Amino acid sequence: MQTESYGERKPINRAKIMVVDDDPDLRQVLSLRLRANNYDTVNVCDGYSAIAMAQKVKPHLIILDLGLPAGDGFAVLKNLQDYPALSVIPVIVLTARDPEGNKRRSLESGAVAFFQKPADNGELLEVIRISLQIGGWRGLPS
Amino acid sequence: MNNGQAHVLLIEDNPGDADLVRLRLVESQSDVQVNCVTRLSDALACLEVETPSLVLLDLDLPDSHGAETFRRIMRKAPNVPVVILSGQDDEALAIKAVHMGVQDYLIKGDITSKHLERALRYAVERQGLLRALEVAGKQQIELKNQFLSHVSHELRTPLTCIHQFVTLLLDGLDGPMLPDQTDHLKTVLKSVNQLHAMIRDLLEASRADSGKLRIEPRCIDIGGLVRQAIAMMRPTAAEKQVGLEAVLDPAIPLVSADPDRALEVLINLIDNGIKFTPPAGSVVVRVSLVETDPVAVYLSVTDSGRGIPQESLRQIFERLYQDPNAVDGNRAGLGLGLYIAKEIVTLHGGRMWAVSEAGSGSTFSFTLPIYSLAKLLLPVITHKGHLREDIVLVRVELTPLSKSLRGSWKETCEQCLDLLRKCIYVDKDFVLPPLGTSGLVETFFIVASTDMQRVSIMLDRIRAQVGAVPRLKASGTLQVTAEIIPVPPAADLRNLEQQIRGVAAHVTEIIQRALTSQQNFTEKENHKHAN
Repeated sequence: MQTESYGERKPINRAKIMVVDDDPDLRQVLSLRLRANNYDTVNVCDGYSAIAMAQKVKPHLIILDLGLPAGDGFAVLKNLQDYPALSVIPVIVLTARDPEGNKRRSLESGAVAFFQKPADNGELLEVIRISLQIGGWRGLPS
Repeated sequence: MNNGQAHVLLIEDNPGDADLVRLRLVESQSDVQVNCVTRLSDALACLEVETPSLVLLDLDLPDSHGAETFRRIMRKAPNVPVVILSGQDDEALAIKAVHMGVQDYLIKGDITSKHLERALRYAVERQGLLRALEVAGKQQIELKNQFLSHVSHELRTPLTCIHQFVTLLLDGLDGPMLPDQTDHLKTVLKSVNQLHAMIRDLLEASRADSGKLRIEPRCIDIGGLVRQAIAMMRPTAAEKQVGLEAVLDPAIPLVSADPDRALEVLINLIDNGIKFTPPAGSVVVRVSLVETDPVAVYLSVTDSGRGIPQESLRQIFERLYQDPNAVDGNRAGLGLGLYIAKEIVTLHGGRMWAVSEAGSGSTFSFTLPIYSLAKLLLPVITHKGHLREDIVLVRVELTPLSKSLRGSWKETCEQCLDLLRKCIYVDKDFVLPPLGTSGLVETFFIVASTDMQRVSIMLDRIRAQVGAVPRLKASGTLQVTAEIIPVPPAADLRNLEQQIRGVAAHVTEIIQRALTSQQNFTEKENHKHAN
């Protein structure tokens, strides 16, 4: 028998989200949506830059497309796991690909959630909010 | 029998007949190897080991007679051509066999070596052609599916872009909009959603064609699902001034179905009903039991529209069928909705049909199987025909801090259940349906086919995900426990079905105990409250 109750968490303030997508228009519109919801955003367009930028800016959360040049989304998920500092960042997969097969593979590769495009904005924002809490990020250090 | 030596499996119990056929075979061509057996069981064993070029089959054997004989051979070796050795008196049966896929028949006593050789050669040729056709057909379907999958992916990206920018504008993130602008953008969004639905239907239909449509059956309260469908379709009905109501038999048991898919079917039927019903008409959804069918729940959607002519009723479930007299103002769509709906119902083991009389509306009905725990556990706790070694029952209990929170408690629990379903492995774990009490404590069970070590990882995940639900944090506590379900030892020779039933019974017992203690808790709370 294993038993446990959860504890309290503090509310979040302003978190930094990295958007990885090869479509410039989608990157732009997603950033606008996130900024309107009080998040900071960083955009990158391929798998290689995703890892480089993640190391540089240490985002609190990553929104990741699967079909990417220079290392697809699965390669990014795998590479993130290789860096202890990056492996803790929650990753939400947002892709035009079919959930069948891809959803399971994404979650098993370390993603916290899978959305097919076009995703419902309300749902996506809710999952971002919850993921940031689970990720243990509680606002900017004072 | 062009390429190399031919292997003929001769299945004939009369030694005289067997020798004669063998003789004729040797006369006709030297390069043939004949393997003769006298019983069907021996023949099936031979087919297990190697695939002959052809089977020569007598239908009356010591252990099998008539049509059953060739059915079993063809089931065992569907790609091997079969030629029947028939007596004068059972030629009718031989002809029937040819209808069912046997390549040819020969009348015993009437067999010349030339005749035999030709019959066998043509049988092999025809079977080869059939096989090539089958392979080509499959390749074609596979190519079509690849094409559709690629196209739909490529269509989705620009569609997502339109969707995102339109919702951005509609949400006022680029500044306030004039009422007309909002209206026009809403029309754009509606069309985008239609386009999105069409792309999804295209993919779904192509999956249905190739048998790749998947369902995840769960134990569901079908009444709740019908209410959900009605709530979702209420605005569409109101817009057209069509009445929409549900008639639910309160005694409906739990149903085993994929809730998303079942909802999809209901929405599709209700949407069609509204579409073909004039203003002031009505659409009624019924859920009932039928005495003669104890394993299914019957659902139907009846509209008061203009009905469907008899000649159309037959084609209505076919793919790409479109109503030739479609009402003005409705976009026709792809004509895939009913086709997909029927495929989904068939996958659930149910049936779907339509009844209508021109001028007095139509009724679309379908059945869904009643929930059985043993049947649901089967795919989770078995692997390659054996019971899994470790089965653990995880219990997730949500207890409200105060009774006054009851109003929003149900929604909080539903949110937790949704999250819980995301914490498990779909093929190895199974979230049992929420218990059917109105108690204060909500208990969810998960049957996990894995050992305690991996279960503890799952427990951590549940604590992190469910424990972080803000509404739960504000209004209740979470308790996660796990216990091992004893599995019958591997040496136990009872059959798999009995083993599964044993596990199901054990789990049911635990669930019932939980139910009782929940009811006790609720009574105690009520008592406390009364004082």
